[in-house]
Amino acid sequence: MKKAYDIVIIGGGITGCALGFELAKRGRKDILIIEKEYLTSGATGRCGAGIRQQWGTVLNATLARDSTYLFENLEEYTGYKGDCGLNQGGYLIVAYTEAEWTQFQKNLELQHGLNIPVQKLDPQGAKEIVPHLNTEGLYGATFCPTDGHADPFHCTFAYAKGAERLGVEIATYTEVTGLRTAGDKIIGVETTKGYVQAGTVINASGYNASAITKMVGMEVPVYPERHQILITEPVNHIQDPMVISFHYHFYCQQTPHGSFIMGIGDPTEPVSYNIQSSWKFMEDCATQVTHSLPILKNIRVVRQWGGLYDMSPDANPVIDEMKGASGLYTVAGFSGHGFMVAPKTAIIIAQQLTGEKPDIDLHLFSANRYETGELLLEPSVV
Amino acid sequence: MINVEILIVGGGPAGLCAANAAADLGASVLICERDEIPGGQLVKQTHKFFGSRKQYAGDRGIAIGDFLLDEVINDPKIEVMPDTTVIGIYEDGLVLAERSEEIIKINPRKIIIATGAAEKFLTFPGNDLPGIYGAGAVQTLMNVAGVIPGERVLMVGAGNIGLIVSYQLAQAGVETAAVIEGAPTIGGYLVHASKIQRLGIPVRTGYTIKEAYGDGKVEGAVICRLDAAWNMIEGSEEDIKCDTICLAVGLTPLTELCWQAGCEMAFIRELSGHVPLIDKYLQTTNPKIYVAGDVSGVEEASSAMVEGRLAGYSAACSLGYGLDTAPSLQAGAMAELDELRAGPMSDRIRQGVEKVEKMVTKGGV
Amino acid sequence: MLINTGIPTKEDLAKVDPSAERLAQGPVAIVECFQEIPCNPCVDACKRNAINIEGDINGLPIVDFEKCNGCGVCIAHCPGLAIFVIDKTYSESHAVVRLPYEFVPLPEKGQLACALNRAGEELGNFEVVRVISGGAKNKTTTIWLAVPQDLAMEVRSIKAPNSAPNIQNSAPGLQSSPTDTLICRCEDITLDEIRRVIADGYRTIDEIKRVTRAGMGPCQGRTCRQLIAQELSRHFGIPMEEVLMSTFRPPVKPVKLGSFVKGGDL
Repeated sequence: MKKAYDIVIIGGGITGCALGFELAKRGRKDILIIEKEYLTSGATGRCGAGIRQQWGTVLNATLARDSTYLFENLEEYTGYKGDCGLNQGGYLIVAYTEAEWTQFQKNLELQHGLNIPVQKLDPQGAKEIVPHLNTEGLYGATFCPTDGHADPFHCTFAYAKGAERLGVEIATYTEVTGLRTAGDKIIGVETTKGYVQAGTVINASGYNASAITKMVGMEVPVYPERHQILITEPVNHIQDPMVISFHYHFYCQQTPHGSFIMGIGDPTEPVSYNIQSSWKFMEDCATQVTHSLPILKNIRVVRQWGGLYDMSPDANPVIDEMKGASGLYTVAGFSGHGFMVAPKTAIIIAQQLTGEKPDIDLHLFSANRYETGELLLEPSVV
Repeated sequence: MINVEILIVGGGPAGLCAANAAADLGASVLICERDEIPGGQLVKQTHKFFGSRKQYAGDRGIAIGDFLLDEVINDPKIEVMPDTTVIGIYEDGLVLAERSEEIIKINPRKIIIATGAAEKFLTFPGNDLPGIYGAGAVQTLMNVAGVIPGERVLMVGAGNIGLIVSYQLAQAGVETAAVIEGAPTIGGYLVHASKIQRLGIPVRTGYTIKEAYGDGKVEGAVICRLDAAWNMIEGSEEDIKCDTICLAVGLTPLTELCWQAGCEMAFIRELSGHVPLIDKYLQTTNPKIYVAGDVSGVEEASSAMVEGRLAGYSAACSLGYGLDTAPSLQAGAMAELDELRAGPMSDRIRQGVEKVEKMVTKGGV
Repeated sequence: MLINTGIPTKEDLAKVDPSAERLAQGPVAIVECFQEIPCNPCVDACKRNAINIEGDINGLPIVDFEKCNGCGVCIAHCPGLAIFVIDKTYSESHAVVRLPYEFVPLPEKGQLACALNRAGEELGNFEVVRVISGGAKNKTTTIWLAVPQDLAMEVRSIKAPNSAPNIQNSAPGLQSSPTDTLICRCEDITLDEIRRVIADGYRTIDEIKRVTRAGMGPCQGRTCRQLIAQELSRHFGIPMEEVLMSTFRPPVKPVKLGSFVKGGDL
């Protein structure tokens, strides 16, 4: 670690690593990524790693669509020797209420407008794609064959290794303990391994984002919320798509390795940094998933874990420069879908910071929307 | 949901003794044992135990398991749940156990973790060939299932397990080509080494396994000498024909549940791995949890039994049982442990226990 | 040396053997126990209080040869099978060595048994003159073997009848072929792969687990976690105490998803 950098990125998840890569790719030198533990140790490495283009707002759908294109060639794009584990088996989003089904039809129009190849399926059609799906109570489903999931570790490592090749430095097991400002300008970062100067600091620390901005007395409405996942032993390939229900808050996919990964949201989960596993999650998840996908009842669970969403009040991120601390940018609050939009989001932010014209306008993610009340409500979150 | 005062995880020597001790003071106890028959490693230990009469010295492990189990079964305050594996200790203190594919929820006031230890594995080319076993696994295979592993064995490791299993292999009519040991001296009790030498089984210290070979299964192994710095000496290779390789390279505490329960842990080489930090009453940094036996440091079964009693008294006492008698019973058990650990063979254990004590004084339980 | 081989030397034996005069007087126990281990059943076994240990339970047993009448009760009580009774007064030409024996089938009185010395070398076939059962609980048999007087202090075992045939090791000219060294048995991860990712900059168990899957299988790293820690310790020259451990998560063993379904015992 040197004493001074041009840009310091706080957070070694996929967002921070992709940002480091995209900035370096655009010729920025002297970039440091600081990570408290190891790369992917936060939300990235604990997530379900789904990649879904079926969103209910244009902005999210576009970011996810363009990110999907990037995921499709991530190894080549970043020069990575490993396998990022992309599996485009589709997303089958199942509707269990009439309201949901009505919303899905609306989303479908929006998605078709963006050339996202989503199909509308009746219960029988859904069963053809996932033969072990219990269609009881099912109104219908939408299916996008180019959705899927990837390996969150390898995707992040791909960006990190690519960034390092372009000269980016990564300091793992290094924690940010403070930010320094001069007037209203950010000038550096204090860490457990010493102080580093930097004129630009990007706060990509996920659920810790508000803890970071508080270091300069500023608030961003990003808070941690526990979500849990379990994974099974590997079995023969039987399920292509991610099956997901907003109504029952669950999702379930089979990885290329053969294990099933599944999670279920708990609407009563309090705001907390707790990432311990709970037996209630095991019970809820098993009960729901074996009801919807009964065949999975005989597969053995090998591990469960908890992670934190970086939630925001409207379940969408804050991507903005902090007023009163110029040079400090917050890129956080992705509320559970940061992984799937990271590739394109990183490009746009890098474009903004290097003076290029951004491909997509991100002003809807501005921090002041919570003051003006212009929230970006996303109907399709789990 | 089962509400119980004291849950004991593991029905081996430590767990059974803990149950008896806690129940003696009046606490109600549930033992979850993953095997069909409680007793832990005792059920396969056909050799006689060392120690003193208080730890059933002179009796065979298998018989000790029977006595302890009899006491437990005949005690109305103790319930034994065999075939039941504790799979998790959760954030709210609730415990999940699995029995015949059913999940049982247990809500204990105190937990004594007595999960024992697991065999260590060794890295050498060919180490995944069929025919390579942990020595403890071979002991189970022979003495519990009545199956011999092969015809000719190379035993890697001259600690007590390696020496005892070589003797028991001989009893089952299986030849041991050699017992090799990387260290310059025999780690187990010399009487065990003498016993197998008399049968013509050579114990060769300063040797390690360089590789195992065979077409789809073990057909032999290459052993070679080690220098004082544990480097292989070129040219000292020897070929040993065998169809079985037993790894007796030590045990390591089985601490998954301690980690899960958030007990503070430390790597203590002398105790053979990561162990929970405990006070002299065997309480961990999670006040709900006590430990006994190999899980808190790999040692002999005799000390595991004494630790079991100590943990049982401590847990029961913390719930208000035996407030008048517990202190002297605890002191007695501590004195017994001190005596068992007084000899030169226990230097390592004493050092390990001291390290834990120091860390605990620093951190505080 | 005893500590290297398990075979006591002449010097070791000189410390525990009775005098020639005592041997000449009749049967006497010899405790070939040379290491301070926590053990004392021999003390309890002797009704004549002829065996004592010094200090605490770890002390070496000392036989009071004057009190010992060679009854041999201690033989089957020693967990280490380290006690023998020698009777040099059996006959002019032969002495009896009484030794502990735990093999089946048992030899019968009058049969010949192959005598072995402390290194397991065959010393000849001699007559079994008595077989004393240790009883249903103890199970250690005491064999009385009449051996020539000059072998009385050498013979310490007999060959088990069902000993496997001695397979000879082949001469050098090794038949080995290059094979993998496995680290993670669930996910089939080899030592070479671990070394490769360490060289690639991954330096903790957590990172290695995520890049290789080592430790993600059904056993959840019960075996490989420690082996990877050792490799990291070696590679970076850091003590094991400082190698960061990865998280342990439930369940401890794989359990069917269906087992967790609600409607159970709540």
